[in-house]
Amino acid sequence: MNTILIQILGALATILLAFIVGMFYGGAHRKVIARIQNRVGPPIYQNFIDVLKLYSKETSINHGVMQHMGPVFAITASITSLMFVPILTDGNWFSNLNFSGDLVFLVYMMVFGSLGMALGAGQTGNPNSAIGVTRGLSQMVGYEIPFVMAMVALMTQFHTTSITGMIAVQQQSGTWLMFSNPFAFMAAIMAMLGMFSYAPFDIVTAPAEVSSGPISEFGGKYLGMMMTSGSIFAFVKLALFVDIFMGGASNLVVLVIKTFALYMIPVLYGVISPRYRTEQAITYFWKWPLFFGFIAILYAAF
Amino acid sequence: MNSLILLLILMFGGALFAFILNKFVPALRDIFVVLLMLGVSYLFFSTGISNRLNFDVLGIHMQWGFTSASYLFGIIVVVLGSLALIYSTAYMKGKDRLGYFYMNFLFSIGAMLGILMSRDLISLFFFWEIMTWSSYFIVIYSGNDVDRRGLKYMIFSAIGAYSMLMAIVIVNSFIGSFLLEDVFASIFAIGSGYQIAIAILLMIGFGVKSAMMPLHVWAPRAYSESPMSYTAVFSGALSKMGVFGFALVLFNLVSTQNWLINEVVAWLAAITSVLATFYAVIQSDAKKLLAYSSIAQIGYIIIGLASNTYLGVMAGLFLAVLHAVFKSTLFMAVGAVERQVGTTDMTKISGLIRRMPWTFVATLISIIALAGLPPLGGFVGKWMLYEALITSGHYYLVIMVFLSSTAAFLYSYRILFGMFLGQEEPEFAHVKEAPLSMLIPMLILSGISVLSGSHPGFILEPIQSAMASFGFQSNLPHESWWELTVLFNTWGDKVALVNVLTSIVGVFLIALAFITIKGYKNQRYVTTKDISSSGEIIQPEDNMTFQIDFYKPFERAIWPLLKRKIDDYYTDFGKGLEALFDFVRRFYNGNGQFYAIYVMAFLALLLIAGTKYFGF
Amino acid sequence: MVISPVQYIAIPLIAAFLIPLFGKLNKELVRIIPGLVLLYLSYISVVLMNQVISQNTMIVEIIAGWRPPWGINLVFSPFSGFLASLFSMLGFIIWMYTYNFKREVEDAQTEKFYVLMMMLITGTIGIVLTGDIFNMFVFLEITAISAYSLTAFYRERDGAEAAFKYLLVGSFASFFILLAIVLLYSQVGTLNMADIAQKMPDVNPYMKGVILMLFFVGFGIEAEMFPLNGWAPDVYTQAPGPIGAIFAGMVVKAGIYGLVRVIFTLFDVHEIFPLLMIMGVITMAVSEVIALRQGKLKRMLAYSSIGQMGLVLVAFGIGTHEAVFAAIFLMFNHAVIKSLLFLSGTYLVYHSKEKNISDLDGIGKSLPFTSFLFALGSLAIVGLPPFAGFWSKLYILMAAADVRLIAVIAIILAVSVVEIVYYFRVLHRIYFRERISTIEIKIPSFNAKISMLILAIVIIVIGVYPDLISGLIERAATDLLDKQHYIQSVLSVGLH
Repeated sequence: MNTILIQILGALATILLAFIVGMFYGGAHRKVIARIQNRVGPPIYQNFIDVLKLYSKETSINHGVMQHMGPVFAITASITSLMFVPILTDGNWFSNLNFSGDLVFLVYMMVFGSLGMALGAGQTGNPNSAIGVTRGLSQMVGYEIPFVMAMVALMTQFHTTSITGMIAVQQQSGTWLMFSNPFAFMAAIMAMLGMFSYAPFDIVTAPAEVSSGPISEFGGKYLGMMMTSGSIFAFVKLALFVDIFMGGASNLVVLVIKTFALYMIPVLYGVISPRYRTEQAITYFWKWPLFFGFIAILYAAF
Repeated sequence: MNSLILLLILMFGGALFAFILNKFVPALRDIFVVLLMLGVSYLFFSTGISNRLNFDVLGIHMQWGFTSASYLFGIIVVVLGSLALIYSTAYMKGKDRLGYFYMNFLFSIGAMLGILMSRDLISLFFFWEIMTWSSYFIVIYSGNDVDRRGLKYMIFSAIGAYSMLMAIVIVNSFIGSFLLEDVFASIFAIGSGYQIAIAILLMIGFGVKSAMMPLHVWAPRAYSESPMSYTAVFSGALSKMGVFGFALVLFNLVSTQNWLINEVVAWLAAITSVLATFYAVIQSDAKKLLAYSSIAQIGYIIIGLASNTYLGVMAGLFLAVLHAVFKSTLFMAVGAVERQVGTTDMTKISGLIRRMPWTFVATLISIIALAGLPPLGGFVGKWMLYEALITSGHYYLVIMVFLSSTAAFLYSYRILFGMFLGQEEPEFAHVKEAPLSMLIPMLILSGISVLSGSHPGFILEPIQSAMASFGFQSNLPHESWWELTVLFNTWGDKVALVNVLTSIVGVFLIALAFITIKGYKNQRYVTTKDISSSGEIIQPEDNMTFQIDFYKPFERAIWPLLKRKIDDYYTDFGKGLEALFDFVRRFYNGNGQFYAIYVMAFLALLLIAGTKYFGF
Repeated sequence: MVISPVQYIAIPLIAAFLIPLFGKLNKELVRIIPGLVLLYLSYISVVLMNQVISQNTMIVEIIAGWRPPWGINLVFSPFSGFLASLFSMLGFIIWMYTYNFKREVEDAQTEKFYVLMMMLITGTIGIVLTGDIFNMFVFLEITAISAYSLTAFYRERDGAEAAFKYLLVGSFASFFILLAIVLLYSQVGTLNMADIAQKMPDVNPYMKGVILMLFFVGFGIEAEMFPLNGWAPDVYTQAPGPIGAIFAGMVVKAGIYGLVRVIFTLFDVHEIFPLLMIMGVITMAVSEVIALRQGKLKRMLAYSSIGQMGLVLVAFGIGTHEAVFAAIFLMFNHAVIKSLLFLSGTYLVYHSKEKNISDLDGIGKSLPFTSFLFALGSLAIVGLPPFAGFWSKLYILMAAADVRLIAVIAIILAVSVVEIVYYFRVLHRIYFRERISTIEIKIPSFNAKISMLILAIVIIVIGVYPDLISGLIERAATDLLDKQHYIQSVLSVGLH
């Protein structure tokens, strides 16, 4: 009984941590962009205010059950993924379900949310939403492949498919995997640009083209829940990359430093780039990232 | 009487009787076919696998009986067959030639059972051909464009079947027996050139039925133009006969020295699955989309089998069972839409979710299973497949599978959106939910998809015994099926399915409660015309549907791969042949004098050459 | 009355001559008498076959008291008896079909038809039963002359032309065979086949070759071997439907019987087998390929028939026991199946002037029974299980595989695919096109339906349970291959 209680408390703590960190990073994102564009920008805690406001709103309309469940799907995927990603290398509190699933599972779990969300967006009947979804899915085919190639390279190199296994490998050898297999890291980082869907890959929500795409019919608590989910998910992705490529984190400070450093890559890359068209985005991922992934597997296998 | 014979007599006799019954008492036809199929299912399950029947025909020794491997496929056949027939009673109501339809339907199911119970190559081929022509007759049932579509199916089936036959007679000429056990026992004693040739010829035969590249060109239209109640069986069970055959060949007839065959098969299957997925993505007709998707999914199954590792084969067989379950559900759902709406063209229909909610539920569940998302059964199969490929060193193969599975999300979404989501057009306001006899089979099958996600043991148990009969010794601890919820790969990495399910369902329910409790009652439904549109007010007659060129950007990105279709090459080849045939035909020019000259010339030739070369 | 093989020849011949006489008594008798005769022949077939099989002998009938090798004799061996039985039973079924066929033609025509048909059947049965080579030539002529006349039965230009072509090429056949017989007689001084076979080793090899080639070409013409078969498609097309069935079911079979009897028993030179096989392969490939491009139903069936004969030749050319078994089995299957196709196909294009396949569009709805049987025949002829054609094709392939003729297997199977294409195209037209042509439909009479149904049932029963007949065929194959036994049995008759 006690263990279950600890588990639940640990899970809640993890969710809270992910939420807070994710929210702040979102704020930082806005701030960084503003500074580069020579604006003052919103305060770094702006996202908290937004979410709070959204949750306190009353939603009065919907287009059906699937729309109602769309954000639920999204947050389910974010939180479940979070449960399976090791946050700290030695923390009991944050271990959650780390040992119950491996990388392959996580890759699938991570797309669960966007598909559930897509269903919700689909029911709204807004053509912009559907267009956004098709763009998102198309782009996903683009970046998943180099990402998976990087993962497969690491798996074959170290004969494990679990994230905890990869952390263990790095702790034993003392070398981060980004140095053990730099090609895999290159491929994965380029894929990460797509995963975050910041410019130049913000084709899904592209405000000027499809008026925010999938989320255009969602307001109030729906939007709030989606923002929550987005923040947690951003954290999940960063933590995953830190675990795999940067040796994990032994305490929260290290975790924040590492994830923030990593987070700056898509943010800074995005600031200076205009938006791609969908097919350009796909072909982008199928050029250099694919090449690096290819080399990474060769490097790992031979 | 031996229950195996009884099974076949019931099936084939029942099929003929259904045809006759339809002529005289059409009202009893539906009840008869369903009862017959249920009776046969009962008989099948009571038959068991120890029953063996030996007999001689024309001096050829034959043996019938199920092994645990064929029993596994047999379960697919009878379960799908029964459900599809129940579905059929409503789906086919009011159509022409029902006697013809049900007769061939039952023939093909009987033939499939016959294939599975064959323990020798001749009866296998015998039933294989019956299956071919009976399914062919249903493929051409709809009657449109029969000459091209039907013939294509028949030609490819014939090429496949005759390759098989060639392999069969060659095997016999070496071994002197058609019995599978004899063939398996002594195949490696014959020359390796013939060994490879036999394996390849057999695989051409099985590859046609499982629609593997480059033998797949018949499949998209054959699947999509058959009545959906049959396509459920066609794609679900009949194509699995090809998979079954592949299993027989790959595990028993390919020696370990010829591992290259495995690799080639796996790569062909991978290319099949990727290209078929891409084609599925760009389809706008739900039936065709599913048809291409079937081709792609069977690609995974064969990759699993060809990987020749314990986990891979298990994944292949698991996916085979599951594909039968979810793909037939999907075909049934599309059939339901077709029956209620009148078309399956997704550029025409949209927004049926509130009209046909149960059909949507069944579709949604099956699509989740198809896409391989946790926590449904499809994920279990995909996970095992990936792990098997990664741990056995098929690095690039696994990338192909990933590519295909990821692209599969696109068409998965397309089919849900195209039929059920999007704008709710007033022209579909009158559409009603499908009748109960169509819904129940779909929902039963959906239930299997759900259960297999957390407790795959009830499918994995029979698969393990099937694999034992293929010669794969189980390395899993023997557990009761409900305990088998944690999957391991050979490196010891695992996924705990119940934890996954608990986590997903738990979070989902909490989040749903959170979002519902506060103020859902006060929410009202607004139509899909009432949407954000930059301030403009949308009128009811405005077309806000987004269905045409759904994945155009993606299509542009992959266009170089799809430009040239294999089908075109076949068509050109066929045309060339016909021209050649026309040329040959000129020999008979209708002039009697020429014929007389031929006779004289032939005799002269014989007298000159014959005496020289025939040595007398 | 004592049953003996001579009745096979005597009764139908007498009946043929008496038919005009009966016609004077009662017009209906003209149609009934042949049926009774054929029924009786079927009956004696059963009795004699039973005797031959159970006592493991062959029945040698001496005519006019001269024992072989001096007199003419009839040999009812398992092989020849099997074919004779097949011809009489098939003849009876076809008679049943013709009973109400073309009632509209005048009586004189009907009389002529039945006289010629009886002579045709007598001729074919005579060819297989005789033990004398010159006698065989005589029966061949009887067959040929009645066949020429029946081809031109409708007295149309095309019919006459076809008959003329047949006559032209057929006279070559007669000439070559006669020449061969003369040469042979000059070498061995006997006409009895057993005696010839016995004396064959003494013949000068060069002469042997020339004679064999003459026989090969002569019988090759009758057996529709490429390139000697130019006459056949026209004849099949122009002859009345049931006669087409008789051609495909009996006349060609008799030609093949002559060919293989000469090759296997008389000469027994294995060097000719490859030639036989190659000619078979070419015949099969060429004619099936041409059949694909035919626009007329009967022409298509004709080419298909030639193709099947090619396959029979291939099987005989392989020459092993298994292959001969398969060849005889295929002869049986083809006789039954192709008859069914001709009989049902005739009604499908009954009133069509051009007999085009396109006239069949949508006829499945108007003539469901006939179309169904045609479809069944189509499935059977291409060798799909569970129909009879499957087993013979399988056995041919097995025989070919046993001697490693992989290329031949590949060609046979490739040709089968072609076969499937053109037969199924016809089925598509029958069942899946809208009927647009205004050609009147002829509903088959009851007796015609029964006769077709019998053939269909035979096809299915043999397909499901081939062992029903395999014993007979097995003995027939043994008989054909065991030359010594044949010589002994024939020459020892009357010695005791």
